[in-house]
Amino acid sequence: MRPFQYIRPKNVKEAVDMVSLEENARFIAGGTNLVDLMKRNIETPDKLVDITHLPLKKIEYHSGTLRIGALALNSDVAEHAIVNSRFPLLAKAIDAGASGQLRNMATVGGNLLQRTRCAYFYDTAFPCNKRQLETGCAAVGGINRMHAIFGLEKNDLEKSCIAVHPSDMCVALAALDAIIITFGPKGERKIPIQDFHRLPGNRPDLDSILEKGELILAVELKSNTFQQHTHYLKIRDRAAYAFAIVSAAVALDVQQDQIRAARVALGGVAHKPWRLFDVEKALAGKPISQNTFRNAAAVSVADAKTFEHNAFKIKLLPNVILEALMNAAGLEPSYD
Amino acid sequence: MINPKNIHASEPDASLDRVDGPVKVTGTAKYSAEYQFGQLTYAVLVTSSIAKGKIKSINASKAEKAPGVLTIIHHLNSPGIPGYPVVKQPAERAPLGTAFRVFYDELIYFNGQPVAMVVAETFEQAVHAASLVQVVYEVEEHQTDFEANISKAEMAPSVRRSKNSPFQDYDRGTTDAWKNAEVKISATYTIPTQHHQPLEPHAIIAVWEAADKLTVYDKNQGVKSAQGNLAQTFKLPRENVKVISKFIGGAFGSGIRVWPHTVAAVLAAKKLNRPVKLVLGRELMFTSVGYRPYTVQKIEMGATKAGMLIAITHEGIGQTSQYEEHLERTILASRAMYACPNVSTRYRLLSLDVNTPTWMRGPGDATGMFALESAVDEMAFALNMDPLEMRLKNHADSDPERNLPWSAKSLKACYLLGAEKFGWKNRALAPRSMKSNGWLVGYGMASSLYGFHRHPSKAKAIMLADGSVVVQSATMDIGPGTGTAMSRIAAKVLGVNPRKVRFEMGDSSLPDAPGQNGSSTIPSVGSAVHVVCESLRNKLVTLAEGMPGTSPSYANILKYHNLSQLEATEESKSGPERDQYSMYSFGCHFVEVHVKPLTGEVHVKKVVTCADVGKIINEKTARSQSIGGVVGGIGMALMEASVMDHRYGRYITSDLASYHIPVHADIPQIEVHYIDKPDMLVNPIGSKGLGEIAIVGVAAAVANAVFHATGKRVRELPITLEKLI
Amino acid sequence: MAEEFPAENEPALLHENRRLFLKQSVTLAGLALAPTPFFGPAALNVEEIPGGDAENVKLSISVNGVKKSLSIDPRVTLLDLLRERLALTGTKKGCDFGQCGACTVHVDGQRVLSCLSLAVMQQDKKVVTIEGLGKLDQLHPLQEAFIKHDGFQCGYCTPGQLMSAACCIREGKAGSEAEIQEYMSGNLCRCGAYPNIVNAILEVKNSGQKV
Repeated sequence: MRPFQYIRPKNVKEAVDMVSLEENARFIAGGTNLVDLMKRNIETPDKLVDITHLPLKKIEYHSGTLRIGALALNSDVAEHAIVNSRFPLLAKAIDAGASGQLRNMATVGGNLLQRTRCAYFYDTAFPCNKRQLETGCAAVGGINRMHAIFGLEKNDLEKSCIAVHPSDMCVALAALDAIIITFGPKGERKIPIQDFHRLPGNRPDLDSILEKGELILAVELKSNTFQQHTHYLKIRDRAAYAFAIVSAAVALDVQQDQIRAARVALGGVAHKPWRLFDVEKALAGKPISQNTFRNAAAVSVADAKTFEHNAFKIKLLPNVILEALMNAAGLEPSYD
Repeated sequence: MINPKNIHASEPDASLDRVDGPVKVTGTAKYSAEYQFGQLTYAVLVTSSIAKGKIKSINASKAEKAPGVLTIIHHLNSPGIPGYPVVKQPAERAPLGTAFRVFYDELIYFNGQPVAMVVAETFEQAVHAASLVQVVYEVEEHQTDFEANISKAEMAPSVRRSKNSPFQDYDRGTTDAWKNAEVKISATYTIPTQHHQPLEPHAIIAVWEAADKLTVYDKNQGVKSAQGNLAQTFKLPRENVKVISKFIGGAFGSGIRVWPHTVAAVLAAKKLNRPVKLVLGRELMFTSVGYRPYTVQKIEMGATKAGMLIAITHEGIGQTSQYEEHLERTILASRAMYACPNVSTRYRLLSLDVNTPTWMRGPGDATGMFALESAVDEMAFALNMDPLEMRLKNHADSDPERNLPWSAKSLKACYLLGAEKFGWKNRALAPRSMKSNGWLVGYGMASSLYGFHRHPSKAKAIMLADGSVVVQSATMDIGPGTGTAMSRIAAKVLGVNPRKVRFEMGDSSLPDAPGQNGSSTIPSVGSAVHVVCESLRNKLVTLAEGMPGTSPSYANILKYHNLSQLEATEESKSGPERDQYSMYSFGCHFVEVHVKPLTGEVHVKKVVTCADVGKIINEKTARSQSIGGVVGGIGMALMEASVMDHRYGRYITSDLASYHIPVHADIPQIEVHYIDKPDMLVNPIGSKGLGEIAIVGVAAAVANAVFHATGKRVRELPITLEKLI
Repeated sequence: MAEEFPAENEPALLHENRRLFLKQSVTLAGLALAPTPFFGPAALNVEEIPGGDAENVKLSISVNGVKKSLSIDPRVTLLDLLRERLALTGTKKGCDFGQCGACTVHVDGQRVLSCLSLAVMQQDKKVVTIEGLGKLDQLHPLQEAFIKHDGFQCGYCTPGQLMSAACCIREGKAGSEAEIQEYMSGNLCRCGAYPNIVNAILEVKNSGQKV
């Protein structure tokens, strides 16, 4: 780890100034990803601005809006009564990620900003556009079993990135249309989660649209009609404590066995949490049934592009969505 | 004559709790990196980022100027290792059979090879300075891709030279007899490179007590062999090297050899004349301490319609490095496992630009029995026969390879006990025919065997004035509970409470004993402990003769004779019985898996494992060893794979987030049963090894269960979900 | 729910190094938020620990009930502080990247990974390690249960398993075998003692003993 200076700002304004005005300063909160990256010399800040004591931990519910402070711990969110009663999808997704210890450290803001887990990004012996622009993407012609199948069509792959966003929490936030509230040198702004994370394009080094020194203050969720029928299905190489091969966050608004509206978002398939608006459309207005779900899930991979080792995701994905929808609807799947 | 049983209370029947349990659960057990020294320094290795080529230059000037840095050692400035031959100019690639030499010359043999070492006052300083060392390479084309190079595999030179090598081509009966059988199968099985990855990374603290006197606190599986190796490497009298390895945080084979990093730390400590601590980073645990080699096996099998095996051919090709052979038992099980008149085996090695593999739990047999026991399952399916019935039908009543009787074999009893406990009779014959709550259900089983190993071992037993006993031997405990078992053996012979026995090990100055490997510790050292305690008891009994009273305590015997202590030292080793009997441990595993039809996720729901290892010394710790083997086998079957990007010859799974080992949620309760019948032909305690057979066959049992659940035969491990959808 | 911290009362800059502080002030000059130096309440009796190229930072921390005033390289993780500076080697380094759980300790009563925690960020926190969970002569109920159920072999993951298990029970996530398996999955055990560990935890949980 490179030497750095450790600083504790007094308040949000001071914190934002310290990072926005410094050449190479970083916020640190839970540290579960940043310390990891610093140990591998992937992040080499000169200054670490510790924001853990700033008053951004509250989880509040007022007039139909849940506001989760950026420094709220993942475990606090997953255990929160209102989250569990009104936004159970979020609690389920958070619980599917990492481990009890990591959820006790990681913050909501940090989770939104965690970097990909692509092996090529983490080992400086490999080229990686995300780590260093224009060095090439080793994953494109390499081992890409875990890599993206969506959001790639416009990319020049030589300069881009096929890594996926690793978060579980963000998949649920995408399904629930979260708003990210930030404070930066230009003041406060509200960013819909769909706009918050970027597709890699020719700047795969940038995961989000945050500007230098811009700090996440909170995440807001509007009350919705989806809390009765939700499921988060995470497919991975072991039963727990592993990143998703693919994951699906699904939520259904069901009235008398008819789907009024649906939300479907995926993890492990793109540079950002991936909403499937076409699948949602295919579900809306239909009766809940295995047939409805199967037909809708089939739409999911229409735009997919695969590489040498991840072609199986085309086959797996509709099955995962189907399984998740069946679960959300409380249907017993019948096979064969 | 006094009956020693009357001297003191006999042993309790219940299993003994692990004798080192209290120090392990309180964190007071000291592992290699945990000894405290003033003036301690921290070493960090710089390793190559290419797989083959030469170091063109090393620029360490920035690193040398970094705060706290004490020295940076590499091949250009290495003080030299006395046991290495003089470096040739220009450097020549070492021929097959040369142990890797650290900081020796500019040649790169594998990706991750140590090329420099930084030593600094603190760990943080050393890590940072290591990142500042710039190494420029002249890259040469490398070959790391096993599948792409498989045609280059050949018989190992050492095997070619030795007509008696077990790895010579073997033919019993008629070659290729399988082709004419009524029912035949032919299949190729692949296991990827897998790594031991004990939770404790390999670590050493090297301390030069004097210019010619070395002490190392090192993670290894054999203090005596490490002592010998280091004495040779640094040209020291053996007795001037002391190796301490009191607690080892798992090893599974990774600690059998002395690896280059150990030598590097000793070298640095010599140069600095200060203690040097080196702990391998987890990523270096993938390139520094061996692995289970990538292996491709082809099995061809023929049987009668009634299910009698006619012929087996078993060909295995294993990976090794360009500088060393690594031979393992891959194909040997096929010669001994079943009564089959025609058996042929072939074993070849493929040298690649990688580091050398090593033995990993169940070495060779875990690999070979995955293939053989999968093939038997395939044959049973082809015959429309129950796989257990198939195995019972072809049970070998004597060793078909050596034409010798077994010293003891209760495999049939294992099969029947395991089947009963598991509920095998509820298994529907047809694959994909059992379901539960939306999951496909599969039952699978496999056999296990592992050869008996017993090495000459010494032990010393000391009766102290208070009647407590100290038993010493330079053996090890990498986890199975050596001290607990030895205490139990000693207590039984002496007729004392095991709590009164203290067993000392993990120190090269103790009486000579083999390292902990090949399931040999209890058979070898256990025998020595048994014999030495008998010897001590006899001495005590002799002393007790003529004493007043009928049953004096040991303490009273010593007191009566005015002795502060009484000791005995004995050696124990095999005799001619090795040539009269064939000796193996046997076992079997029954596994139930559930598979999600839509997603291909596999969950192991139930395991029953049954072992025939002769006498069980301490059931509680034995059970844990069996459970651990099953867990290792589940990992091997379902998730473990070290994946290399061959364009770079470098692993992309070099941490514990990408090299998956099982977690709590992957493992159900595991039922363990033992036949527990002493095999008195093998040694005086009637006990055979357990560590390896616990894992051998498990991967096949899982794969067979997956086949039964899904109808899909996966012959390429691990069985990840994309292979099932 | 997480509690609020009184941010305004927090120390602004923990660097003891006056020169650095001044440099920092200059950088931020004109922003009217020049941070004030922090010398800490326990500036006396500070244990100087070998530093290095990083400017040492003062740290006041409670470890197993003992208050420590230290001066450390900010790069030092809580794990390395415990193992290399405070000789508390019961906490284990397994992977150093948050992927194995061997380094689990309690910080302010919560289980966390000490390998991914910078020591300087633990100012005024209460850290409990395995050495603080129980003693050889007074074992914690979980330690006793681990011995009884043989919940380990090599013992290297054991301190982490135990620290994690205590919190697993306190968090109310030890209600069943399946729940324990899920919520203990952040603690790897290569010897495969999992079923025994689960049985030990379940027994302690069901006994109702305080953990």
